[in-house]
Amino acid sequence: MSLKGKRILIAKPGLDGHDVGAKVIALALRDAGAEVIYTGLRKSAEYIAKVAVDEDVDVVGLSMLSGSHMELVNETMRCLKEYDAGDIKIFVGGTIPEKDREALLNAGACGVYTSEMPLEDVLSDIERQLQ
Amino acid sequence: MTRLDPRSRRALGRTLTKLASASVAESLDHGARQPTSDRDTTRIGFTGAPGAGKSTLVSRLAKRRLAACRDQGGIAILGIDPTSPLSGGSILGDRIRMDNIVNEPELYIRSLSSRSANDGLADNVADLLDALDSHGFCEVLLETVGVGQAEHAVRHAVDSLVMVLQPNAGDAVQAMKAGILELADIYVINKADLVGARKTASEVRGIVQRHRDTRTWLPPVIEVTQDGEAGLAELDDAISQHLDWLSKRRDPTETRRLRRRYHVQSLIVRRVAELLGEQPQLLDEPTLRDTYRKALQTLAGDEAATDPEARRDTW
Repeated sequence: MSLKGKRILIAKPGLDGHDVGAKVIALALRDAGAEVIYTGLRKSAEYIAKVAVDEDVDVVGLSMLSGSHMELVNETMRCLKEYDAGDIKIFVGGTIPEKDREALLNAGACGVYTSEMPLEDVLSDIERQLQ
Repeated sequence: MTRLDPRSRRALGRTLTKLASASVAESLDHGARQPTSDRDTTRIGFTGAPGAGKSTLVSRLAKRRLAACRDQGGIAILGIDPTSPLSGGSILGDRIRMDNIVNEPELYIRSLSSRSANDGLADNVADLLDALDSHGFCEVLLETVGVGQAEHAVRHAVDSLVMVLQPNAGDAVQAMKAGILELADIYVINKADLVGARKTASEVRGIVQRHRDTRTWLPPVIEVTQDGEAGLAELDDAISQHLDWLSKRRDPTETRRLRRRYHVQSLIVRRVAELLGEQPQLLDEPTLRDTYRKALQTLAGDEAATDPEARRDTW
């Protein structure tokens, strides 16, 4: 399995202040060969979209524990489109209730990964999405 | 559409990705199509040990220098972080220290991984710098990987080189050793609010300012504190003074030759690494000389050196 040459932005939108999960996934992606950029905590959707454009990433991973994942995903997508970068994919991680999974995928997220999922499954799914 | 609106940023971002990941052959093809930029974008390099505070310093300085560059094309920052030799992956963490400037529209920050380069820079950095030149930036700030004592490739890539040190990073003998400490134009003792900064500054001054010759540049040693603006202003002025000094003395032909020299040298080194990866049997030759000779022979008929028209166009 390899994500060699892929550029991935791991971002923390919203107001929750915990990024253990974001860092775990960032390191796992690095070990799978990806170039990973991490934004740090509490970034706006607009900020995340700007960074995604300047860094020309293949996908943005949004890590959210605050419960406002629906709004933040929609807002990030809107900003990416506004910056002519609607083709950059988004995956979502964090505390996501099962009932929201379908809605996030329908909204355009390419994957929804929660902490119960084995890391290898998450990585192989991301790899599949980026093929 | 302006030069730094979202659409052109997107295009620039894509160009840089393509250039950064180009193989030696692709890079040569690109070079054949794209003559070396004749624009004269100022390049300022920042180097120093991991954790010396390079990224934070670069972002504070960019904010300051933007005032003069805003209408002249803006500033681009290239921040290089190391690629894992095990997985090929990397965490590009420079820009997390540059939070305070992301909303400046005339600023473009790009994180790079070093890939196969182990000289403090990244593969194809010369092409990337040229692309930023052509895009019309007024200044490019280049931050190297955190370096030790010997990675001085950045010297020829930039006009002014700033070496970032921190207090108590070693005794005077460390500062006396040969290497990158001989090559910078300006020395910063960063985190100068820490104990020992004054002593470190005076030790470094003692080493780098030994030759008081009016014909050469006397590198200033500047203490910069975490919050104070005084040291930062001094650094800003010192860079401008050095650039000014340089513009009156530098021979452009010589600069071009030095840059070409680094560029071709890095491509050859990388091509050799590619070759030894593709043909590991070269390592099984009876003697070192045989391996060396066979490798050179293979390179002599190398496809990468062939004109793009002569083979399938990959770029």
